[in-house]
Amino acid sequence: MNTHLMSGWKETGIKSVWLATALIAASAVVFILGYLVLTSLPIFFETGVSGFLFNTVWNPTGVVPSYGIATLLIDTLLVTFGAMIFAVPLGIICAVFLAYLAPQKVRDIVKPAIELLAGIPSVVYGFFGMVVLCSLLQNVLDIPSGFSWLAASILLGIMALPTIVSVSEDALYVVPKDYTEASLGLGATKWQTISRVLIPAAASGISAAVILGMGRAIGETMAVMMVAGNAAVIPSPIWDVLSPVRTLTATLGIELAEVASGSMHYYALFGVAAVLLAITLVINLISVRITKKIQSGGSVFSMPAQIKKILKLCGVIFAVCILMYAIGIVPTLILTAIVFGLFFLRRIMSHRSIERTAFGIIYAGTFLVIGILFVILANIFINGIPAISWEFLTTAPRNMGLEGGIFPAIIGTLQLVGGAILLALPIGIGSAIYLHEYSRDNVATRLLRTGNDLLSGTPSIVFGVFGFAFLVIFLGWGVCMLAGMICLALMVLPTIIKTTEEALRSVPNSLREASLGLGATKWQTLKKVVLPSAAPGILTGTILSIGRAAGETAPIMFTAVVFSKRFISMDLFDPVMALPFHLYVLSTSVPGSETQQYGTAVVLISLVMAIYLVAIVIRKRFQKRLL
Amino acid sequence: MTISNSVMVMNRKTMSIVGVAAVIFAVFLVFASGCVSQGEEAETITLAGSTTVLPVAQTVAEIYMDEHATADIQVSGGGSSVGVTAVKEGTADIGMLSRELKDSEKEGSNLEEFVIAKDGIALIAYPSNTVSDLTLAQIKDIYQGKITNWKELGGADMKIVLIGRDSASGTREFFTEFVLKKEDAASTMQEYSSNGAVQQAVAQTPGAIGYVSLEFVDDSVKAFTLSGIAPTVENVINNTYGLNRPLLMITDGEPTGLAKKFLDFILSDEGQNIIAENGFVPVNV
Repeated sequence: MNTHLMSGWKETGIKSVWLATALIAASAVVFILGYLVLTSLPIFFETGVSGFLFNTVWNPTGVVPSYGIATLLIDTLLVTFGAMIFAVPLGIICAVFLAYLAPQKVRDIVKPAIELLAGIPSVVYGFFGMVVLCSLLQNVLDIPSGFSWLAASILLGIMALPTIVSVSEDALYVVPKDYTEASLGLGATKWQTISRVLIPAAASGISAAVILGMGRAIGETMAVMMVAGNAAVIPSPIWDVLSPVRTLTATLGIELAEVASGSMHYYALFGVAAVLLAITLVINLISVRITKKIQSGGSVFSMPAQIKKILKLCGVIFAVCILMYAIGIVPTLILTAIVFGLFFLRRIMSHRSIERTAFGIIYAGTFLVIGILFVILANIFINGIPAISWEFLTTAPRNMGLEGGIFPAIIGTLQLVGGAILLALPIGIGSAIYLHEYSRDNVATRLLRTGNDLLSGTPSIVFGVFGFAFLVIFLGWGVCMLAGMICLALMVLPTIIKTTEEALRSVPNSLREASLGLGATKWQTLKKVVLPSAAPGILTGTILSIGRAAGETAPIMFTAVVFSKRFISMDLFDPVMALPFHLYVLSTSVPGSETQQYGTAVVLISLVMAIYLVAIVIRKRFQKRLL
Repeated sequence: MTISNSVMVMNRKTMSIVGVAAVIFAVFLVFASGCVSQGEEAETITLAGSTTVLPVAQTVAEIYMDEHATADIQVSGGGSSVGVTAVKEGTADIGMLSRELKDSEKEGSNLEEFVIAKDGIALIAYPSNTVSDLTLAQIKDIYQGKITNWKELGGADMKIVLIGRDSASGTREFFTEFVLKKEDAASTMQEYSSNGAVQQAVAQTPGAIGYVSLEFVDDSVKAFTLSGIAPTVENVINNTYGLNRPLLMITDGEPTGLAKKFLDFILSDEGQNIIAENGFVPVNV
């Protein structure tokens, strides 16, 4: 009797621990949102909501300051739109290839390769964009400066590709086999089956993929900031893809560290962060909704035919405009004629040759994606490997990073990531356990889940803004390691919660019931049965989070890092060096440091890729064991 | 999708491997920190602010640290306004400025100023640009978008690409005040967040014009003469070059400890020599 009572108390205690972690996670969301919105209020009183949103002049340090973000908003949308035009067709092509055309062996190589593309830190993309893409554009198109909307869109497109490919591929993969068999049985060709049956059946999943990719593009800071030219102008004419642009995120990245706290400019930047947050929240909620619909097996969502037509038309007109500007009017007309010619040719072509053409395009598209990955990695490794030496890896930087090495940056990155994981892991796993094992589906849990969804779509720079304002300035910690750890922890928390929940869900209920039926307590069941089974899944999620945290720049650049530091410090209230920030400063502010830039990029990329590879290997291993 | 319906069991062996890996990682971190700081108590100060002052401050700091093994001087950029904010908020010990303190910044605070050097601002272009002399009025017209092609200045038929600094830059404030006469630059101006970034962008862009601190003028760019006077250290010292300004370091109240020692070092003959070697103009000549 006594032991029963004891274990009862123990059970309650354990449950409240999980509840507490879940509450911490949820209150973090509420606090961040609240803090950002409250801090931005003065600017809305100053300019009015419409004055802030619809005024096109952003000139906060002008003689007469003006705080209108319309230009920034439009530029952000243009850059995202451009990225999607590039990434959506390629992404879907690649997904179709992986899901239906690729032999198993090819699939086994290509899929992880594309996932690796997602692992390349954004600052490395930005670096590649600066040194390769922008000068390429400048020379090929013979324009005054390669830093432009076009450069930013291409780069963001590449960055959004892995998300779009892997989510669409999942959606295509789960379309029931019966559909294929039925369609083929009716005499349709393979291509007709894919284009008329399977893609429409996976439409909602694909649209979720596109929306997720869009969210990633809108929230991206470093890569955009490094290649977009950052002039706050609306392109004129509006389709001038060669115009410099400045996005919301880049504005925060450039101006935040430089603004006097408490000035109207400071509040205006919080306004920008709040607007950015609002946009990504909406996008994120839409994607969560669609994903839920798919999971619940509800009716497949499809767009009304009319909207589809209009969207198609818009896309075509936009593409023609871009082409006209980029390659001139006459070549565009010829190209358009060819495309239309092909379109009409389709009517008279045999099904066989249509199929051959379509598959040709798919192979070419996939090849292009792999080619892009290869070019980026080859460029960085070929130029970077010679820069690596024992001295480079083990000494502190000297003379603005032009001499010496990056040892403190390597250690600093490990410290930041280690701290972030130590903070996020218990809270993340705890709240996932609470959400999945203890709570029933009621309003409170749904709120907790929504909070988590909100946090997961938040652009990483928003965590930086929050950390800077609250931890660095308001709490007076100064720029320090701990502030960076907290920002990174908040950033990876949703991933950890989500993957842990996913892993817990994959443990069959029969195991739990069997254990409870044998008289084990809930905690014993959890500890001995559920958690060990879910461990690989949790581990994979954790490792992916580590990889992501190691490559991030935006959350730490205002909160935790200095450019140069000679000693390694274990004091949480000291600033540190970090690899991504070091690469950012070298490539934007230290002329003549190409060797060191490439060297740093190689070390950073190898670190992150190694982490990702471990995750992929673990997943593969446990998948195999089941088969 | 097969993962979600299946059981994955992690055996004890795998778990222990993960555990061992974590322990090795932790030990490595501790070892790494111990091996560098060698257990000695390092005295730390942080400098933040103007990217114009950053390189020379960094160089001086390195030489100082070479001579004093326990000193740890961390230098970061951000811009002159950041320097002021950081010192006021206590997040940095010394702020670096490439402009004078403003009255609004002095108000209600206890900031101490130290002029550590003087600096000229050079207008730079792509090396092959055929234009070589500009007047202040021409520069103003260029930056306000009234002159948009180099041929209007006697050069090649090439669009002018405006390159400037971000809003926290002291260089930009100085430029706005003395060249643009407190008017705004054209909104097509591309903004970069450091002298180095401007120099790099100009060096890669045939039609570009940019403004940087003297020390960032090298072979990769061409510096304009200003009404016939070249931007050189001599011309700044004898005050013939029109665009020059003081470089400051500030502290919150009287500097103490390492901050004081470091400032003394910069203002000493040795420190001023380093400043001169870096293309700036020493203050005690």
